[in-house]
Amino acid sequence: MAGGGSVDKGMSSEEISRMTDANLVVAIARWRQEALAEAYRRHGGGVFGLARSLLGDGEGAKDVAQEVFLRLWKEPERFDPSRGSLRSYLLAQTHGRSVDVLRSATARQGREERDVRPAVAVIDVTERQVEDLARGAQVREALAGLPEAERQAVTLAYLAGNSYREVARLLGESEGTVKSRIRSGLRRLRLPLTQAGLVGT
Amino acid sequence: MSHQQLHPEIEELLGAYALDAIDADERQLIERHLRHCPACEAEVREHREVAATLTPGGPTPEALWDAIAAALEDAPPPLELAPVVPLARRRPRSMPILAALTAVAAAAAAVLGVRLMDQERQLDRMQTAMAEDSVQRAAVVALANPTAKTVELRAADTQAAARVALLPDGRGYLLADGLASQATDRTYQQWALIDGERNSAGTLGQQPKLAAFNVSGPVDGFAITEEQGTGVVASKNPPVVVGWFRSA
Repeated sequence: MAGGGSVDKGMSSEEISRMTDANLVVAIARWRQEALAEAYRRHGGGVFGLARSLLGDGEGAKDVAQEVFLRLWKEPERFDPSRGSLRSYLLAQTHGRSVDVLRSATARQGREERDVRPAVAVIDVTERQVEDLARGAQVREALAGLPEAERQAVTLAYLAGNSYREVARLLGESEGTVKSRIRSGLRRLRLPLTQAGLVGT
Repeated sequence: MSHQQLHPEIEELLGAYALDAIDADERQLIERHLRHCPACEAEVREHREVAATLTPGGPTPEALWDAIAAALEDAPPPLELAPVVPLARRRPRSMPILAALTAVAAAAAAVLGVRLMDQERQLDRMQTAMAEDSVQRAAVVALANPTAKTVELRAADTQAAARVALLPDGRGYLLADGLASQATDRTYQQWALIDGERNSAGTLGQQPKLAAFNVSGPVDGFAITEEQGTGVVASKNPPVVVGWFRSA
């Protein structure tokens, strides 16, 4: 490895588009901006869409999406390919960050504002979000296969950013019931999504 | 509470945890548990993969990429090491260290003395940080960086004993494998070779493995000498190992 300045050949866009997500991250660790751009091409829509789902159309969603990709640029070593896909890593970061923003905003506004939103309206919004899912009929089908109570618990928590306690209040159920429905709903989704090739290595 | 007693309560929360639907205390509790429970860790991972498919899709906004691209820097992120000695940073890049210092001859000795001492402190802190992965990783990443210049340091025609990666902004890493251990009253010292002069790039201790340093000016190569005590301002000793960058 001795020697002077190496020639930077760059990577062709064809090469990049063929790289696995894990190799993209290695390229990102070598400060290849093209690799980050490709990661954005693949997952930016999901990241931004999720942030928007939780935070609405304002600057908040854009800020979160930006933070997620900048973090990938600055700390690519945090992604461990043996623990899951790049997509789920980025979306988990997006979700966590968005919920933090949501919770601190709520804390500042005071809890009253959130309570005032009628339970029905919140559920309606979430149903619309479920319909918006672009990951195709397979995801919609998998969700449709859940008992309604489980589907509501999962989507109210994930897509609207409610804590299980808030979901319990919204649905008029006990906290224990909601915790259990979220968990069993997520488990029940695994099989159809795995069969559809959408999860699982 | 023992691991076994706590487990069912934690398990109930794993779905909600994977969806960030728990409160801060519960989060801490679960994260502590996950650190030593691979079964629960695996469950959370699976829930998160499932949740990831539920994202609403949508067009990827171009304007957002522009904002991200604008925020990218080409240089690697800073390490949590002792801060660079201010003198090295403030000086314009085109002036080699030694030339700048001889221009301020009266202060030169005092300045060099301070610089060596700061490097000792830097080395101490680095040796603590070395226990952490991040420094090693940064060095390895620097080695792989296409804008870095790398050179192997060796004695005569023997095997390389050390490798240096130098980044365009003057930050560099030394990775040493084959340097014999020094006695406690001696140290290795690294020198940047600029315009035929040796400029100290820091003392390395008795058996260096990894060091981070900073240089300014066009560097032709690096050398390592053995020195008495805690290092010297100017070395009279022949290099133990040396390496020169190939001209581009």
